[in-house]
Amino acid sequence: MKTLRPLLTSYVSRRIGMSLVTMVLVSITVFFGVRAMPGDTAQALAGEQTSPEVLAAIRSEYGLDDNIAVQYWRYVSNAATGDFGTSARTGLPVLDSITQALPITLELAALSLLMAVVVGIGAGVMAAVRRGKPEEWLANGIALLGMSVPAFWLGIVLVLVFAIAMPVFAASGFVPFSTDPLENLRRLVLPAVVLGSGLAAVVMRQTRAAMIDAMSSDYVRTARAKGLGPAAVIGRHGLRNSLVTVITVLGLQLGHLISGAVVTEQVFVLPGFGKLTIDAVFTRDYAMVQGVVLFTSAAYILINLLVDFLYSVVDPRIRLGGSR
Amino acid sequence: MRRIPAALSVAALLAITTACSSLSPPGKETTAQARLTDLRPVRDGGTVTIGLKSDPDMLDPSLTTTLVARTVFTSMCEQLYDVDQNNKFVPQLAASMPKITDGGKTFTFDVRKDATFSDGARLDARAVKTSLDRHLHLRGSGRASEIDSVKKVTAVGPYTVRLSLSHPDVPLLGRLANTAGLIMSPKALKTYGAKFATHPSCVGPFRYEKRVVGDRIELAKDPLYYDADKVHLDRVIYKTITDGNIRMANIRSGDVQIGDQMGPVEVRNSMGEKGLQLLNTPSLGYMALTLNVGNAHGIDQKASPVDSPFGRDVRVREAFDLSLDRTLINKLVFQGMYEPACGPVPPGTPLSSPITCPKRDVPKAKRLLKAAGVKTPVPLELMINTTPEDSRLGQVVQAMAADAGFSVRLRPTEFATGLTRTLAGDFEARTGGWGGQPDPAGNIDSLVGTTGSNNQGKLSDPEIDRLIVEGRSTSDIAERREIYRRLTVAINKQHGVIYLYRNINYVSASQDVSGLKLSGDGLIRVKEAGYTKGSR
Repeated sequence: MKTLRPLLTSYVSRRIGMSLVTMVLVSITVFFGVRAMPGDTAQALAGEQTSPEVLAAIRSEYGLDDNIAVQYWRYVSNAATGDFGTSARTGLPVLDSITQALPITLELAALSLLMAVVVGIGAGVMAAVRRGKPEEWLANGIALLGMSVPAFWLGIVLVLVFAIAMPVFAASGFVPFSTDPLENLRRLVLPAVVLGSGLAAVVMRQTRAAMIDAMSSDYVRTARAKGLGPAAVIGRHGLRNSLVTVITVLGLQLGHLISGAVVTEQVFVLPGFGKLTIDAVFTRDYAMVQGVVLFTSAAYILINLLVDFLYSVVDPRIRLGGSR
Repeated sequence: MRRIPAALSVAALLAITTACSSLSPPGKETTAQARLTDLRPVRDGGTVTIGLKSDPDMLDPSLTTTLVARTVFTSMCEQLYDVDQNNKFVPQLAASMPKITDGGKTFTFDVRKDATFSDGARLDARAVKTSLDRHLHLRGSGRASEIDSVKKVTAVGPYTVRLSLSHPDVPLLGRLANTAGLIMSPKALKTYGAKFATHPSCVGPFRYEKRVVGDRIELAKDPLYYDADKVHLDRVIYKTITDGNIRMANIRSGDVQIGDQMGPVEVRNSMGEKGLQLLNTPSLGYMALTLNVGNAHGIDQKASPVDSPFGRDVRVREAFDLSLDRTLINKLVFQGMYEPACGPVPPGTPLSSPITCPKRDVPKAKRLLKAAGVKTPVPLELMINTTPEDSRLGQVVQAMAADAGFSVRLRPTEFATGLTRTLAGDFEARTGGWGGQPDPAGNIDSLVGTTGSNNQGKLSDPEIDRLIVEGRSTSDIAERREIYRRLTVAINKQHGVIYLYRNINYVSASQDVSGLKLSGDGLIRVKEAGYTKGSR
């Protein structure tokens, strides 16, 4: 252990250092990328009915007339202290908007993931076990639909059916879970179905493929030969061995949940991160775009960092390999 | 269980029809009659949610630049004057119409004595002076140029205000009946200064409670409001729902009760639907094609002719104008739900005169091109916005103009980029709209006057300029009406701005809600609205 500790410390410091460098690179890319967009920001903010004096005042107010390097330095030094600026469009602090929007997207992503796991794994197992039967065709057909149907269209159809024709769920909006758990679910189920349907389809197909492999393997044959019942064979031997593949796929698809939320939040008018991003981009709200992208990047980097640390704890070969 | 397949098929059909905008000509339904209000009796209490087309910008009357913010202000910030349903100016926070003296250079008016701001401060002449001075002098104020004729604001008595002008400015009254007339609490201005938008406080039926950016603005009934007895609702929520189909779906589901600025397609699809009602009022503005006539070096530079057939010869512009059929454009692009337009003064306002739009005349257009000696087809790049409606408009214009000998190339351009290019003079023609103001000067002076800050095509004509000055300094209504008739003729003679159509402001609402009012400016007033007596 004594020889491992310095290696671990070095590994951790190196990974943290790399993460900080990545964040700086992200901030530079976002900052200069947003400013490279065509069109004058001050003009976009002021609209068509404006005067040169107003434009000059807006540029001065938001420091748009400063040297771009000065603007960047001012931005990062403020951001380091938790000040992500003020929205030039609404005059409200960027951090407030982000902290209001983030929990909504996280809850939506969690619900979608849950739906994708339950439906996807269930349908995948059924399709594998009932191979060649109508159930498999049905599951495959639904999965194909889940992957092909655009989120926007599916969202509108679900609203028309389950919020208008049969008003079981709400068509839009968000109520925090802490305020009213039932109302919270009533408003999030449809968006979660839309967001989770594509992922559920992928999970279903992966589960089906992995289960078919597992069910034709020697250990399953042995389990059957020992006289185990179908439930034990499928659950304990087939599914457990298939889950490794499924979990890998789920991990890879997590990013899609966040990006997919952009469309879903528009359809269901959820004031989440996706909607905040789109609105900010369309209105040239620099401070908001930067804040949103920096937060998202930081979250990705932090998750990757934690996963890497977990790997290194579980499998020491990773950190040792990395330190060579 | 039997209902499910039926519901699914209806839903699928609706989804298809809402996703694909029909270009079929309009049926028998008509919205020709303006419907500005619904006066069924209402009961007290409840919350009404209004779906807005876009998210308002700053809730600061001095800094805002969006019409949608003004929609929110109608519930929480009253202005000195207002426009009634006949497009006439009426006092709101002012107690009377202004006395105009000193050859039109002094405006004097009294303000209400019974009004209190939502933070408890009293409305008086000094409060009005504080607001108007802020409009004039705050850095970045969007109002400064609107009321720049005001040299000095004086509180001549506790409730009397005098505006001293640098020159006669009859249209000033119209601006005081617009955003420039919005009055803010001096107490809130002292506390929050330039950050007033974070805690806006005014005189209004509802007071600001909270805002979630991109989502909603919540207002609650203000017990301090001078007319609180007439206010029935407990709360009003403004919710941003940018997509028209989704806004309509939310009204159908009952999550939203009122939908603002509904598009022609959604309105047509929902006409006659049980449980819904439609209110509408013609817009005070217009939509037009602006041709670049003299903006060769940027809008802030002196007008100089653009080196193109359109810049060189008015006959080419006239030919282009004659190639267009406004009625057909309205049918094909907007399902007949808007109104053809051929001038900047909206009909139905006190200063408008009857005007007949010219008919499409392709043979004459061809003769004009021949006389101008230009090689056909005459090329033209038309910059359009990246919206489905503008795309359809561009395609229809392209097809019509082709018949007369023009080759129109469409260039869809995102708003901010298009604006930058326009101001730099880097365009040949563009589609664009003007929100409109109650006084016609607001639709003309800055848009076609030689020195106008919004004269994007840099049209420059001495006759137009002369009539603009006359219109601004004449107070007699009949005389002004004649001036604006002649102005319309003069502008149309130049064919630099080709007026095409006038929006109709459509508001869809649940039948459960009544007491709504639209005024001539198209903004929804919910002061006296509420849930209909006997409804759920």
